[in-house]
Amino acid sequence: MDRSDTFDIEFTLNGEAVAATVPARRLLIHFLRDDLDLTGPKIGCDTGHCGACTVLYNGRTIKSCMMLAVQADGATIETVEALAADGEMTPVQQAFHEHHALQCGYCTSGMVMSATYLLEKNPSPSPEEIREGLRGNLCRCTGYVNIVEAVAAAAGKETSA
Amino acid sequence: MTAPTRVETPRWTGQNYPRKEDRRLLTGQGRYVDDRGMIRQGYAHFVRSPYAHARIVSIDTSKLENMTGVYCTLVGEEVKEMTDPLFQIAPPPGGNMVEYLMAVDKVRYQGEPVAVVLAETRELARDAADLVEVKYEPLPPVTDAIAAQEPDAPILHDEVGTNVSWQGTYEYGDIDWALSEADHVVKIDKLHFHRFSSTPIECFGVVVNWDRGTDTIEVISNNQMPMFGAMMIAPSLRIGIDRFEFVSQDIGGGFGIKINLYKQTGVLALLSRKAGRPVKWVETRTEHHLDGGHGNERWFLDIEVPVMADGTILGVKARAIDDAGAYLHYEPLGAVIWSQVLPGCYKMRHFRIDYSQSLTNKCPTVPNRGYSRMQHLWMLERIVDVVAHELGFDPVEIRKRNYVQPEDYPYETPNGCVYDSGNLPLSLDKALELVDYPKWRERQKEAEGTTKRIGIGIGSTLDSGTNNFGQSRIINRELPFSGNGEAAICKLDLYGEVSVALGTTPQGQGHETTAAQVVADILGITPEEVTVIPGFDQARNSYVGFSGTYASQFAVTGINAVIGAANKLKAEMVELAALVLGASEEEIELAEGHARVIGDPERAIPFIGLANMVYTNNAELPTEVAERISLNCRHVYVPPFDPPDPDRKYGNLTLTYASQIHVAVVEVDTETGKVEVLDYAAVDDCGTRINPQIVEGQVHGAAAHGIAAALREEMRYDEDGQLLNANFLYYHAPSAADMPHIKTDWVESPSPFTGTGAKGMGEGGGAPLHAICSAIQDALGTDVPIVADSFNPPERVYRLLHGEGLGAGRGVEVVAKGGS
Amino acid sequence: MILAPVEYCRPDTVDEAVEALNSSPDARALAGGQSLINVLKMRAAAVDLLVDISRLEELKGIVRHDDGTLEIGAGVTYAELAESDLLGGDPRAIAEVAADTVDPQVRHRGTIGGNVCHADPINNFPPLMVALGATMHVVGPDGAARDIPAEEFFTGFFTTAVEDGELLKSITVPALADGTAVGYVDLEIGEAAARAVAVVRTEDDQIAEAKLVIGCLPVPTRRPEVEAALVGTAVTEAAVAEATAAAADGVEPLSDADATAEYRKAVIPVVAKRAVLAAAKGGHRG
Repeated sequence: MDRSDTFDIEFTLNGEAVAATVPARRLLIHFLRDDLDLTGPKIGCDTGHCGACTVLYNGRTIKSCMMLAVQADGATIETVEALAADGEMTPVQQAFHEHHALQCGYCTSGMVMSATYLLEKNPSPSPEEIREGLRGNLCRCTGYVNIVEAVAAAAGKETSA
Repeated sequence: MTAPTRVETPRWTGQNYPRKEDRRLLTGQGRYVDDRGMIRQGYAHFVRSPYAHARIVSIDTSKLENMTGVYCTLVGEEVKEMTDPLFQIAPPPGGNMVEYLMAVDKVRYQGEPVAVVLAETRELARDAADLVEVKYEPLPPVTDAIAAQEPDAPILHDEVGTNVSWQGTYEYGDIDWALSEADHVVKIDKLHFHRFSSTPIECFGVVVNWDRGTDTIEVISNNQMPMFGAMMIAPSLRIGIDRFEFVSQDIGGGFGIKINLYKQTGVLALLSRKAGRPVKWVETRTEHHLDGGHGNERWFLDIEVPVMADGTILGVKARAIDDAGAYLHYEPLGAVIWSQVLPGCYKMRHFRIDYSQSLTNKCPTVPNRGYSRMQHLWMLERIVDVVAHELGFDPVEIRKRNYVQPEDYPYETPNGCVYDSGNLPLSLDKALELVDYPKWRERQKEAEGTTKRIGIGIGSTLDSGTNNFGQSRIINRELPFSGNGEAAICKLDLYGEVSVALGTTPQGQGHETTAAQVVADILGITPEEVTVIPGFDQARNSYVGFSGTYASQFAVTGINAVIGAANKLKAEMVELAALVLGASEEEIELAEGHARVIGDPERAIPFIGLANMVYTNNAELPTEVAERISLNCRHVYVPPFDPPDPDRKYGNLTLTYASQIHVAVVEVDTETGKVEVLDYAAVDDCGTRINPQIVEGQVHGAAAHGIAAALREEMRYDEDGQLLNANFLYYHAPSAADMPHIKTDWVESPSPFTGTGAKGMGEGGGAPLHAICSAIQDALGTDVPIVADSFNPPERVYRLLHGEGLGAGRGVEVVAKGGS
Repeated sequence: MILAPVEYCRPDTVDEAVEALNSSPDARALAGGQSLINVLKMRAAAVDLLVDISRLEELKGIVRHDDGTLEIGAGVTYAELAESDLLGGDPRAIAEVAADTVDPQVRHRGTIGGNVCHADPINNFPPLMVALGATMHVVGPDGAARDIPAEEFFTGFFTTAVEDGELLKSITVPALADGTAVGYVDLEIGEAAARAVAVVRTEDDQIAEAKLVIGCLPVPTRRPEVEAALVGTAVTEAAVAEATAAAADGVEPLSDADATAEYRKAVIPVVAKRAVLAAAKGGHRG
C-alpha cells in the first residue's frame, strides 16, 4: 500500500461488506459514527480511557478511538448494533435490563461489548474477574454494582460480592 | 393548596418494574445529542485561552477569510455588540459583574472561549481554529480562595471591584452563649473541601439552528435544566423565551454539571444566525474538564464547637470561604443552598457561619451531585468525628446522641427548615450491620502495630430535595423567584393510547418507567400500555420555569405533576363514561383498558370508545362535556411553600429530606499512605419508593461518586492556574476494578408532605467523602494531625502519618471549661 | 480529538517499513497505536507519515531458543504475551506484567515494542526489560542491524537509543538461573506512581544475587549499591528493608498532579523492599 492521505478500504461490518474512501487521519470511531451512521459506539474521552467506543476488531475488543479507520481495511468489525440483530436481546443485554445495570446508557454500548467478550473468554468469571474484564470501560452512573451482578447473572451465576 | 390524592392499592407503584428506556440504550439505538444533526449543518470549534488570567490584545481571524469550507467565525467583540450581558443572580458587588456569552477584553480561566469557528467538517473546524491568532497579555492569576480576598490580590472583574462575590452571616440561636456554657470547646483551624466533578461520560453537545424564516431557535442539546438556560440567554440575545425550542432525548449523565450548558448555546445560536445554517458542536473531554464546570471547593476556618460533658454538641461557629471560580454560573445560589441542611442530621441549635464566596482564575463552579450541601455536611461530619476522637466518645454513640430522633419529626431546624421524616438511628444500625461492625472492630485491634491499619468511618447525610427557590431571596432580595414545581401532560390519544409528556430531562434516572408505573395505577392499565414520550421538547408545552432534572426532586415534583395530570384525565374519562353508560361517576372504575360500572362488567366502554367521541365522533359526545373535556390534561404541581424571610435567613427551604447513612471500612498502608476500601455499606431512606431498583441504582451511583472523589479525583490547578488533569489520563475516574462492592439496605419513612410519601433522592449528600475521611481518621488515631481535607490520595495520608496536616500542630485544640 | 492531516502507509515487510521510515523527515512507526494515537490527537508531535507495522508477520513471533532464551517480536501484543504457552515458565513475569497492562482493549492492540519505544516513565515494560537483562534488536536502512542491551536502550524521558529511521524488531530475554525469581511491585495512584522490579536468586533463605530496577523515573534505573547490599541478606522484612533503604538515593522522580517528587522518593524504598521480598519468596507481583 503506497503512502497517501486518502485510502479506499473494504471490510466486514456487522456481517456485511463495506467499501469506503477515508482520509488517513480519520479515527475509526468517527468513521463509524459520522460516515456510516452507526451511532451505537460513543465518544466519551480524548485519550482511550472511557471505552464507550469499544467494538470487536477481528473478534477482540478494541477502542475504536485508538485506531485509524484505514486500519479497518480487510478486518471484521462488530458493533453493539450486531448484538440484537434478530430483534432478540442477547443474554448479556437481557441481564443488564433485568439487573438495572445501566442508567444514562452512554457507556452501555461499550460495556456490553466488553461484557460479551469477557464471557466468551471466561464463561464463569468471579466478581473480581468481571471487574478486571471491564477495566477498560468507565461508567459514572451505576458504581458498577449492578453491572457486575448482571454479567454474573448472564454467566448463569449469582454473586454477592 | 392540597397534596395530590394518594394512589390507592397500587399495583405497579413500588415494584421493580424493569426500565422502559433500556432496550434502545442496550441495542445502540439511544439518541444522544452527538447522534443527531440537521441538514446543512456546519461544525463549530472553540478557540480557548491557554492562560488563566490575561488581557486579550487582539484576535486575528484573517487567515480563515478565504479558506474553502470555513463558513464563518465569531469573536467576543462581535458577541458584545449583538448581545446584552448575562443576568446575574448576585446582588452588588457580585451582581455588578459584566459577563457576556464569550470573553471580551479579558480571559479569566484556562480554557475560556475567546472565538469560535464554523466549518464544513469537524476536521476543518479543528484545523482552522489553529489559524486564529490571539495575542494575550498575561496577568497574575489568583487560584486560592483565601488569597483572593487579600487586599493586594489581582482583581478578576474590575466592575465588581473585589474578588468577594457574596458574603453574609447565618446566625441562629446563641452561639456565644453556647461556647461560654459548654463543658468543652473544640477548635479546628482549617478544613478544606476539594474541587472535583462527577464528569459525565457524555460531554456537552449542542445542535442549534437560528431559523431565518421564522426567527426561531431550535436547540437540540443535553442541557439538564433547559428552561434555566433559556431564562439566562434569552434576555442576553434580546429575544423572548417563545423564540426557543429546546429539545433533548437521551442524555449521557449530568449530575448537575449540564446545567452549565447555556453560554455556549447562546454563542452557537449567534454563530448559526451569522452563518445562516445549523451549527453542531460537541465538546471534547479535555474541553469539558477545562470549561464544563466543577463542583464547589470550600474552606472552613476558625471552627469552634461547644460540646457538653455527655457528648451533646450545641452548635458550630465557623467561617466558610467558597471558591466559585471565575464567573457566577448558578452561583451564588450555593451560598444559601447549604443552609437547607444547616444542622445536618443533628439537633444542634446554635450557629454562626460567616459565609463568603471568592472569585478565582479557575473554571466556574456549577451544581455537582450533592451541590453545596455536601460541603457543609462534610464539615459537620468532620466536626462530629473530631469531637468524638478528641474527647473520647464512641463515634456511633455520639452520633446517636445528637441525631434528630424518630419521634422528633416533623423537626424544625434553627433556620426554619422542616425535616419531614426519618429514622437515623435505625439507618445507622442497619449500615453497621451490613459491614458486620463488631467483626471489623476486632480486626482493627488485631491490625494495631502493623503497617496495615484498619479504620471504620460513618457518613451521615441528608439529601434535601425540592428546593424552595424563594431561598434565592436570602442571597438577593430583589429576585422574583419562589416555590418550585413541574409540569406534565397526560392524554388519551385517538385510538385509546395513553401518553405522557414530562418537563424533566432525565440522564439515567428512569423517568419513563416510574411515570408509567404511577399512571398505570391511576388508569387501570399496565406500564407497558403507557407511552412516556422520551426526552424533553419545549414545543410539547410540558414545562415550567423550574423544569429539568436536578436537585433530587423528580419523585416529588415530576411524579406529582404526572399524578395530577393522570388524575385530571381519569376524571374526564370517568365523567364521560358515566354519561355514556348511564351511571353515576362513583360507579365507574377504570380497569383493563375500559371504563366500566363496578360490579356490572357488561356495562363498559373501551378507552378507544371514549377517545373516539372526543377526537373524531363528537356529534355523539354528550353536550354536558362538549368543549369542556379534551382528554389532554396538563398539570402543574406546586409544592406547599412560603417565601423565606431574607432578613432572618429563615424559612422552609426544601420540602423533603431523604437520608443516607454510609459506613466505610478502610485499610491504610502506613508505609505509603495508600487507602483501600475493604467494605462499604449505604442505607437510604427516601420514604415510599416508586421503583426500589431505580432508587438502589441511585444509591450505588452517589456512593461511587463520593468514594472516587474521596480517594482518586481532584480538579487540581497549579499556581499559574493551569489545570493539571484535563482528561481521563490524569483525572482518575474509577473503573469497576478500582471500586469496592457497595452493600445497600433501606429504611422507609414516608414523607407526610408529598402525597405519595416519596422523597426526592439521588444525590446522596457526598456521604462517602464523610465516611472515608472518618475511617481514615479512625485508622490513624489521635497521634497525628486531623484529616482536614476531603481528598486523601496516598501522599496526603502519608504526610498526615508523618505529622504534616493542614493547620498548625494537629489542627485541633480542646479547651476544657471549669466544672466539667 | 481530531488528528492533524497525515499520510499513512502499510508496508508488507520490515525492510519496506524501514524504507518508509526513511522516506520522510517526520515518519513514525504505528504499532498498536495505544500511545501514539493519543500523541497525535493532542497534536503533541509533528508527524507527516504513519508507517503501519501492526500487521507485519516478521514482528509477531514468540520463540523459545534451545538455550532458554526467549525472543519476542516487537509487534507481539500484550494479550498475545499473556496468553502465550511459551511464557508459562520462566520468566513468567513477562506474561504476568502483560496480563496486567491497562485493560483488555489496550492489551488487544498494544505491543511490547510500542511499550518500550514510547518509553513513557509510567510504562511497565522498560524496568522489567532492564531487570531481566534483555537485548533489543534494532534494524535500520540497507540491512543494518544492531543489538542494544536494555540498560543502554532507555536514554531519557520518552527517548530511546532507536534512531530516526530505525525500527525495533525483536527483544531477547535470557533464561533465569535456577533459584531466581522476579518481583514486580507498583504503587498505583490512578497510574503507577512508583515501581520497582527485583530479580533475586536465593540460596538457603539468603539472597545470593540481586538486581533492582526502579521505574516511574525518566529512565529505568538500576541500583548497584542496593544490589550489593542485598547479597547475603536474610529473607526477612527487616533485613531487606535495611538493604533497600537507600533505593531512592540520588534518583530524581517527577512531580505531577498525583504525587510530588519528595513523596515518590519516600516510597521508592517501600516498593523496592516489597519487590525484593516478593522475588525472594518465589516471584510475585503486587
